[in-house]
Amino acid sequence: MTTIGVAAPRQQAGPRGWLMEDSLAGMARRRALLGYVFLLPTFLGILVFSAGPVIVSLGLSFFAWNVFDPPEFLALDNYLRFFSDGRILIGFSNTAKMVSLAVIIEMVLAFALALGVQRTTRAALRYFFRSAFFLPLLTSAATISIVMAYMFHSQFGVINYYLGLLGVPRIPWLEQAQWALLSVVLVYVWHRLGFTFIVFSGGLGNLPKEVLEAADVDGATGWRRLWYIVLPMLSPSILFAAVTAIISGLQIFDEPFVMVKGGPGDATRTVVMLIYESAFKNIELGYAAAIAAMLFLVIMLVTAIQFRISKALVFYQ
Amino acid sequence: MHSPASQSLPRRRFLQIALGAAGLSVAAACSRAAPTTSPAATAGANAGAAAPASGSTQGSLRIALFGSREDADRRAALIPPFNKLFPNVKVEYTPIQGTDWEEFFSKVLTMKAANNAPDITFVATEGTQLFAGQGLALPLDDYIKRDQKDMAQYFSDVHPSLVEAMMYEGSLYELPIDFNAPNMYFNLSVLQAAGLEYPPADWTKDTFYDYAKKTAKKDSSGQTQVFGYQWVNRLWGSWSPWLFVNGSNLLSEERAPGGDWLWQAFYKDDKAATGRGGGWRWNAPKANDAANVEALDFMVQMLKDGVSAPIELGGGGQLQGFFSGAKLAMTPAGGFWAGGLHAAGMAPDTFDVQLFPKWKSQRHQFGTAGYVIMKDARDKDLAWEYLKYLSGVEAMTIELKGNNSTPTRRSFMTAERYAETGPKHWQVFYDTLEKNPDTAPIPAPPESNPMTTIFTKYSGLAMTQEMTPKDALDSMQKDLEALWAKRKKA
Repeated sequence: MTTIGVAAPRQQAGPRGWLMEDSLAGMARRRALLGYVFLLPTFLGILVFSAGPVIVSLGLSFFAWNVFDPPEFLALDNYLRFFSDGRILIGFSNTAKMVSLAVIIEMVLAFALALGVQRTTRAALRYFFRSAFFLPLLTSAATISIVMAYMFHSQFGVINYYLGLLGVPRIPWLEQAQWALLSVVLVYVWHRLGFTFIVFSGGLGNLPKEVLEAADVDGATGWRRLWYIVLPMLSPSILFAAVTAIISGLQIFDEPFVMVKGGPGDATRTVVMLIYESAFKNIELGYAAAIAAMLFLVIMLVTAIQFRISKALVFYQ
Repeated sequence: MHSPASQSLPRRRFLQIALGAAGLSVAAACSRAAPTTSPAATAGANAGAAAPASGSTQGSLRIALFGSREDADRRAALIPPFNKLFPNVKVEYTPIQGTDWEEFFSKVLTMKAANNAPDITFVATEGTQLFAGQGLALPLDDYIKRDQKDMAQYFSDVHPSLVEAMMYEGSLYELPIDFNAPNMYFNLSVLQAAGLEYPPADWTKDTFYDYAKKTAKKDSSGQTQVFGYQWVNRLWGSWSPWLFVNGSNLLSEERAPGGDWLWQAFYKDDKAATGRGGGWRWNAPKANDAANVEALDFMVQMLKDGVSAPIELGGGGQLQGFFSGAKLAMTPAGGFWAGGLHAAGMAPDTFDVQLFPKWKSQRHQFGTAGYVIMKDARDKDLAWEYLKYLSGVEAMTIELKGNNSTPTRRSFMTAERYAETGPKHWQVFYDTLEKNPDTAPIPAPPESNPMTTIFTKYSGLAMTQEMTPKDALDSMQKDLEALWAKRKKA
């Protein structure tokens, strides 16, 4: 019996040889490299448009920079100022009030509408309602805010006009602190509702029919069916909707800025408005970056808490 | 078993390279952010340079404009005549929209932060000292001295108060193109319905109040259907004209020294130029001055009476709609409203304008605007040639077509100009300067942007009756003092 000699793999010097090595390992390296090449455009996109600015912004938060003069290193001064700045507490407090109100209204309303549309028997009507509820999301928040400021005008707005026909006295929608906050929240919810509605519609459409039929057979109807069957099975969609709604709510800017400029007084001044004002009105870009970094931390913390709670409450099929 | 996945070295290397690249890009971004030359080093770098030879000059100019794409398109008509002088120069207008000047300036500063500043920027009084004080704009003194003969006709046609408003610490930064002084506009149909006539120029605050009360109309349920007066919550033309006519201001005023070179060169025989200096200095805040409290009290009182509508928080669009819809009798506005009301469909004889009413004085305020050459402009000499061209009769005729603002050249103020748009008493616009020599610019120090935020915040709180006028102005004073303390520290 003759033995067949195995030829030694051809070796080239340097990285090229390492990559082109005629072996299983070399082939694996080449495949890995191909994978990285495909990932490169996405990676560059994230680096240039997301990660890069985040890193630069974080770095900037340790400096004083007014655009005109070179940045001056301040170490932690901007963060120390953050904790002693009275406006910050107002900004976070307003934002928290808006988020709480907006998320509750948005979730309840979107769920009710999704449930209603799902029960609509005619397909054409279902498509119509889905489109109608989703459409506001496609328009710009600034445009909506301008139009809504007209509609909410206490003297000449259509909302007070129709309320007046019902005998309701004129409401100072944009002129009194508590009403202004509510007006901003209502407009924000109206604009964003379509997104949560679509999430819930999708979730409801994907509920397993056999489970719902079994519930029917067992006599679970009405609230019991909704509470014990539908909601638990919809919990992943609810978690997703809640997380995105809170993250988005914590960054609310357009509506309070365009409708009431953060007023009356500071009644609707949000954290992002403070970032904008610090950066581009007071020209304190370093301090603005520090507020942004703290907001980022808050969003991370709130999201982490939500995921932690969801472990006990969310039901994955 | 040998798994390809366990060959992790390439991934690590890749990540190392990627992080290295990210670090380099961050470092590059930071290095771009820091100016390489100090403002002083570039100031007047081109001073005394000879005027560029027009035919052979090549280059491009980018101009930031406060307005819409339509505004920029309208100004495109300015380019062909300039290209007859400078055929190889490309001029591009970049429109930047916002609800007020502060937003526009914020966006220009963002462009500066991104190392993408325009060569020329349209800047109003609200931002003149911001741009000059922060070293963003180039003083024009040396260019004006060099081209004194060319500029003589322009200055002879422009009121010195407008020129003085564009000076900062003795230097001139802009050639004012247009201005607006808050005068009192009337919807004549509302006045007529109340049996009132166009008031005389020396009308008083009491007459005004009487007009406001008589023009306000309530329905059977007591709800106001037509308001006597309304204003927009901002710095210019809000309730601040009332500070002026009540003999006060938001900040204490002082004239900076200097500027003699300009007054001697162009306004030697003009009495209106007597006593003028090198621009305004706005010093210590005096928001809670007794006269200011009295003025804000008056505003709140009109609101409580149902005579004045709640303040508008936007850019004045709503207010214009209410006025043209005969829901409002009077409002403070400048010459720009003539074009605006015409565009809103009002006939020239349906509205009119008069000087602001007299209280303790009849001192008016104004805001003016022109173009600054940015310190970072690529070709400052060329930018100056464009500024010079813009201050000429031909360019201003194009730029101010449609009466969307008041021309700074008095020769432009003609009956023919206002025949199509109105108002009947268009002379009021320039009389504000000519017949009221104490008329002065709105207070706009380099801190104008944050100051305006403070001003509108507490004005709003008083007008929504969340605070009394006294408390609101005390708080405003406190915040302004804190802002001024920061200025001193800087």
